[in-house]
Parts: sequence; C-alpha cells; structure tokens
Amino acid sequence: MKKTANTPISRRLVLGAAMVAAGLTISACGGGGATSSGSGSGGNVELNFVFWGDANRAKMTEAALRIFEKKNPGITVKTEYQDSAPYADKLATRFAGGNPPDVLAMANRSLLEYAQRGTLADLKSFPELNLDKVPETTLSRGEVDGKLYGLATGVTTIGMVVNKTITDQAGVTIPDDKTWSWEDYAKFATEVTQKTGGKVYGAGYDVATETGPIMLARQRGEDFYTKDNKLGVSEKTIEDWFQYSVDLRKAGGYPPAGFFEQIGGSPAQSYLAKGTVASQIIPINNFRGYNEAVEGEVVLLRIPGETSGERRGYSADPTMLWSIAAKSKHPKEAAKLVDFLTNDAEGAAEVLTQRGVPINPEVADSITPKLSADDKTFVDLMAAIQEEDLPPAYVYPKGASVVADTLKQLTTEVEFGRISPADAAKTFMEKSNAAINK
Amino acid sequence: MTVLTKQPPGAPTSAAAGGTPRIRPSRRRKQRSGYLFLLPWFLGMLFTVIPFFASLYLAFTDYNLFTEPNFVGLANFQAMFEDPRLIQSLKVTFIYTFVSVPISLAVALLVALVLNRGLQGLSIYRSVYYLPSLLGGSVAIVMLWRYIFGNDGIVNGFLGIFGIQGPAWVTDPQFSLSTLIVLNVWTFGSPMVIFLAGLRQVPGMYYEAASIDGASKWRQFRSITLPLISPIIFFNLIMQLIGSFQTFTQGYVMSGGTGGPADSTLFYNLYLYQKGFTEFEMGYASAMAWLLLMIIAIFTAINFIASKFWVFYDN
Repeated sequence: MKKTANTPISRRLVLGAAMVAAGLTISACGGGGATSSGSGSGGNVELNFVFWGDANRAKMTEAALRIFEKKNPGITVKTEYQDSAPYADKLATRFAGGNPPDVLAMANRSLLEYAQRGTLADLKSFPELNLDKVPETTLSRGEVDGKLYGLATGVTTIGMVVNKTITDQAGVTIPDDKTWSWEDYAKFATEVTQKTGGKVYGAGYDVATETGPIMLARQRGEDFYTKDNKLGVSEKTIEDWFQYSVDLRKAGGYPPAGFFEQIGGSPAQSYLAKGTVASQIIPINNFRGYNEAVEGEVVLLRIPGETSGERRGYSADPTMLWSIAAKSKHPKEAAKLVDFLTNDAEGAAEVLTQRGVPINPEVADSITPKLSADDKTFVDLMAAIQEEDLPPAYVYPKGASVVADTLKQLTTEVEFGRISPADAAKTFMEKSNAAINK
Repeated sequence: MTVLTKQPPGAPTSAAAGGTPRIRPSRRRKQRSGYLFLLPWFLGMLFTVIPFFASLYLAFTDYNLFTEPNFVGLANFQAMFEDPRLIQSLKVTFIYTFVSVPISLAVALLVALVLNRGLQGLSIYRSVYYLPSLLGGSVAIVMLWRYIFGNDGIVNGFLGIFGIQGPAWVTDPQFSLSTLIVLNVWTFGSPMVIFLAGLRQVPGMYYEAASIDGASKWRQFRSITLPLISPIIFFNLIMQLIGSFQTFTQGYVMSGGTGGPADSTLFYNLYLYQKGFTEFEMGYASAMAWLLLMIIAIFTAINFIASKFWVFYDN
C-alpha cells in the first residue's frame, strides 16, 4: 500500500525530473554523435525549425521553406508547430533537455526568460544574417545589453474590429477611429447593446490580455515595461483599465460576468464570429482571418484614445521573434534560415503577412501587390500608424509571463466583483514587481 | 501530457483485503516466471526511481531548467510558507478531495449494491457505469464537461426549462471547482467495480441467518455487509484519496492550464507544473512535489491508524 502511495508521486515528477536526467545525459554527450551530419563534404544538414500557429500558417511556411531548400542545397528543414500554449510548454522542456530546436519562434514575453539564461545565440554574431535593412527600432525589441536574441518575424499591433453589418442594422454609427476616445467607445458599445435589444453586446474585447493596458499606459505617457526592463505602468492606470470594464459592463455595453468561456481560440471560434459581440480587440495581422470568419462586413479601426491621451499609444511590435538556440549544432545554417526568413522576397511571397509586415522594407514592398484586400487593409493601417510620432517601446522583461498570468487572474476576480479595481491594481503591482525584480 | 494523466489503477485488492497468502516451496517455479513477467515493470521502475531521487536533490537547489543547479538548502521549503498561491492550491486540492471522495465512494457503493441484486444484463450495466472512470481523466471528457456546463450547455438548458437562470458553471470562480467535483463523482466506476467484487465475496448464508432472525434489510446492511466489505471501503478510500490529491488533467484542461478562473481550480499539481514549466522554477517545483508526498503519506498514515477502529478483517 505504501508503495502505491509512492509511485504516482514520482510519476508527477517524471516530466520534471526526467528532463533533468535526460538533460544531463544528453548534454553530456552533446557535440558527440549528433553532429556527424555537418562534417562530411556535401553532407546534408537538417535544421529543426519550430513555431506556433495553425495549419494555414504551417502550409504557407512550408512553401517558403521549400524555396529555401532549393536555394541552399545540402540543408533540409524539418518543422514542428503547435498552438501557442502547448508550444510554450514544449519549448521549455526541449531547452531543459539539452535538445533545443535550431531556429524557433519566440513570444515577446518569453524572450528574456530564455535570453538571460544564456540559451539563445546572439544573432549579430552571424555574418550569414544580414541586418542592414532592418530598422533600429525593430532590432531594439529583441536586444539586451547590445546583443540581439530575437529578430521580429514581422511587425503588427492591436486594433479594434467592428462588425459593421450588425451596427448598420442597429442603426448605430461607428465613430471616427482617428479621434475617438475611450469614452466614445464606451458610448458606442452601450448603444449597440441597447439598439439590438441586448442580443449583441457592443464590446467584447479581452480585458485580460496585456496588450490593452500596455496601450493605455503608453497613451498616458507611461511605459508599461521600461527601458531598463522594469514595470513602469502606474497603479492608477491598471485600476482605470479594470474600472473601465466594470463601468462598461454596468452600462450594458460589455457582456455580464462569466460570458466569455473560450480561452484563446481562432477567429472562427471568436465571439465576433458567433455574432454575440459587435467589436473586439485583435492583433491586426489577423484581420483577414476575422473578416473571413465573420458573417457580414468587418471593419478594422484604431484603438480608442490615440488623440485624447498625452501621446500615441501605438508602437510597431514584433508579432513574434525568431531566435537561434545557443546550443544549435548548425548555427551557420540556422542563421542562413533566419536571413532567408527576413530578407528573401520569394520566401516572403509565400508567407505574406502571416507573421506581420516584413521588417525589411524592400521585402515588404515586394509583396504588397500580392496581398488580398484584407491583408492590404492591415498593411496600410500599419504603415499609417508608423508615419505618426510614436514613443519608443522596449523588450518585455524577464517575468513578463507571470505578469500576463497575474493580469488574467485579477481580471476574473474583478469581473465577478470579488475585489475592487483598486485592490486588484494594488495586487497587480505587487505580484508583477516581485516577478520582474526576482 | 500522457505522463501527467491519471495513474493506473493501483495494487490488487487482495493486498488490501488482508495479507497475501504465504507461498509454498512447490510454487517456487511459478514464482520465478511471475518475476519474469514483472521484468518490464522493474525496468520501467528505473525511469521512476532515478527521477525520484533526482527530484529529491533538486528540491534543495535553485534549478531553473537551463543552468546548473545551485544548492540552496531549505530555501524552497521556506518560500512555500510565504507563497499565497501555494496556500490557494492546497485549499483547492483539499476541498476537492474532502468533498468528492466521500461522495463518490457513497455513490459507488450504492450503485454496486443495486447492481449486486442480480440484475439481468449486469455486465452491460457494469461496463456502462465503469466507462466514465476510464475516461474521466481524459482531455476529451473534460472538454465535453466544459460544453455540458457551458453557458449554453445542457445543464443550463435543462434549468432553463424550469425558468432557472443557471450560473456560469465554468467561468465563475464560485462554481468552477464544484463543476469539477461533479466530474470526479461521476467517475465512480473503478471503486464501484471493486465494491461489486467485494460484495460478491460476502457469503449468502449470513443474510439467510439474519433474515430468519428477523433482521431488516437496513440492519443486514449495517451488521453484515458493511463490516465484511470494510477492507474494500478502506482500500477504495485510500486509492481515491491519493488519486484526488494528485488531480491534474481536470484542472489543466478546464482552465486551459491557468488554474482559473481566479485560481479557483488551481490544483496543487497544476501549480507545481506551472512553477516548473512556465516559471522555470524546477527546484521549487521539486520541493512542492516532496511536500505533496509528505501530505499524502500523513493522510494515508492517519487512515491506517484510524482503520483499526472500523475495518474488520474476516479471517
């Protein structure tokens, strides 16, 4: 009996501790057998390339990789992809096991978790990777202490999508998004709910995603994450972010507590596609997906408050980042692949704006004629935003994933009225600072 | 994922039902082939034992998955006392265990009693009731549960017939854990099958004698059935207790890995996993695993001591 009590415990530990055991053995023999492929003349190098996303993204990526393989005889690329959450878990175990992929997609919030533990290569150290065309502001989003650990796959930002078919039917005019304030948005959303008889809620943005408060903080002249990798947002801003959703819910513009059940999910699974909400905040590179998933016409708008605040909240953010593992056995070939993904127009023609607007402006221009109308809407908005005077944005600090989780948890607490927005903001500051300063 | 799903059914019931019979020398050969058959298990044990001790070591380090672990003494264990989420995860796990285990055992026994009355098509019923416990820890069933208890799910649809506006079972922190408790109770199949086997062992003559003496059904149940199957109840209790202390999949799938809403389904093992694999604090996670082992050991020990007063071995 005692024995049965013990075994399952160690089972729990298998994942954790097996990684350790496996990691020690694997890293002990690292550089041994597995490197054989690169040595022979004309020998074939196989790169392992991982990213998150859906089948559509994978298909487009594969098409580009075939071009890469054709241009670089002797290198084959083996890909793996998953949804973002399982991807993050698997990536961690692979690094821990001493068996990281060669080239990988990295989330903004995880970059420093990896980089500051010495697991990523400095991309500037590879002559194979040409960074001449990449703007400095884009490079800075993957840089720590002068070393480049992540290179943007493309740039994007967030925007408001509104189901215009619904608002037209309800007879509600969409305010001018160039100048609308957060109050305008609240009024608009509340009106939609009223005029549809409560069948459709005007607002359906996700309170728990950090990009929202990041934007609000920037509009108020605060950097959510500062240049020296700290938390820069004020407690008041976080409180107001929570309070705004509470007030909007009370007014009827935002759905009642417990309404949102889906965690993450594709455009097709969104509440906008279901037609139960009329507007939502999305990463705008996904605009096409939403317009295709939603019955009726979807319009892409700017986030409210851009002209009513102290400064612009917008920034051109890396959609995700390409990184090369420090332990990659084929760093040169890996750098060639990242160079291809960044600078090759033919490759970009296959992927288009799947991972944001290409960071090499020449490449971005070259694919413009090939874009569908919806993708063009995204690219045009991105370009228009970038023409404005945008404040600088910085790398997410180590601990940013804990900040994201904390925000999620507190959002629910506030949603069900278990704590006040003020208390939630206070807790947010404490927990986030603790995680970042650790 | 598979590694983290529910553990396989435990040891054979005979062990619980009061000591294995002593093996006679003539059975040596049989014994030897028995060990041979167990060989794969012994080999598999290596994959358990090594990590087992590795984690004991790591519990005293600051291991972060990427760099070499440094010895930090008892720092991880000290940090636990000041970790509000750890306390929360213990709370969730204890509530879950102490509510769902007694209920699911009671339901299992009740169904076993009904099935034991010699129904026609017993094997079909048995399978039907057993099925959920095979599936309960699986991802698909927990996903299904999300839909059944969803805002537009069957449960709220049913309540709606009576004009009751059902709550948000999954997303409201007040109800989310109870939804999972119901799921756990629903998987009463494996204790039920064991109960059923136990009930079959109770000699019919006891009941005959009792009914001749004029004992009521309830009296028979209390004075004959319960004492005679008490070792089975004890075994099931221990297994269910351990199993539910280690709940992971239900919480992980239901909340998409967050333990939400608002940490209301943050099971201990889920938090352990988060610490180890999303916050990369594997040293702390290892220490947590050992704390759980101690907690389970204590509760098992308490049960073993308490069992002297209510478990009756008929031999």
